[in-house]
Amino acid sequence: MDNNINLSPETASNLQKLSDKDKQDLNQFIMAESQKAQIQQNVHNLTDMCFKKCVTSKISAGTLDRSEQPCVQNCVDRYMDANMTVIRHLEQMRTL
Amino acid sequence: MADPKQQVMDQVRQQAALSNARLLVEKLNEHCFERCVPKPGSSLSSSESTCYTYCMEKYMQAWNTVSKQYIGHVQRGAGGAGAGAGAFGGL
Repeated sequence: MDNNINLSPETASNLQKLSDKDKQDLNQFIMAESQKAQIQQNVHNLTDMCFKKCVTSKISAGTLDRSEQPCVQNCVDRYMDANMTVIRHLEQMRTL
Repeated sequence: MADPKQQVMDQVRQQAALSNARLLVEKLNEHCFERCVPKPGSSLSSSESTCYTYCMEKYMQAWNTVSKQYIGHVQRGAGGAGAGAGAFGGL
């Protein structure tokens, strides 16, 4: 990730002085934000993939048509199924 | 003096929003250029511009559809695609 946080030296030294409660809050906040960022990243990747698969005809309207919309939904659902299949398979290999 | 905790939180939020927007612009242009400008001419024609507008609207609708569908899976605890399942407060 290219998300470097640039803190002024002042902020950095002030951070050291935070109470334990504030440090804990901050930690929790960062964890939640990074989870959110991860999910957003996955949404970008899935949209990339599913747009390619589902929007194949000439683009002549600004909305997804009657077949494209369900195709995108199915695309996500099947991707998750496939992902589960991979996980199960690996799980099986592990126990052999 | 500014609260350092608040400062860090604001900065994290801002950078997340920025990288999200940057990625969306990149993907929009990647897909729509491919679809709408098959043979680049000396300028963007009006039909190419129209196609771009439609294409962007379609892509963003697809983004929202995927987002809803995927978050449904994550919340049901299916996890997957590298994201750990767990408590998730919504986007």
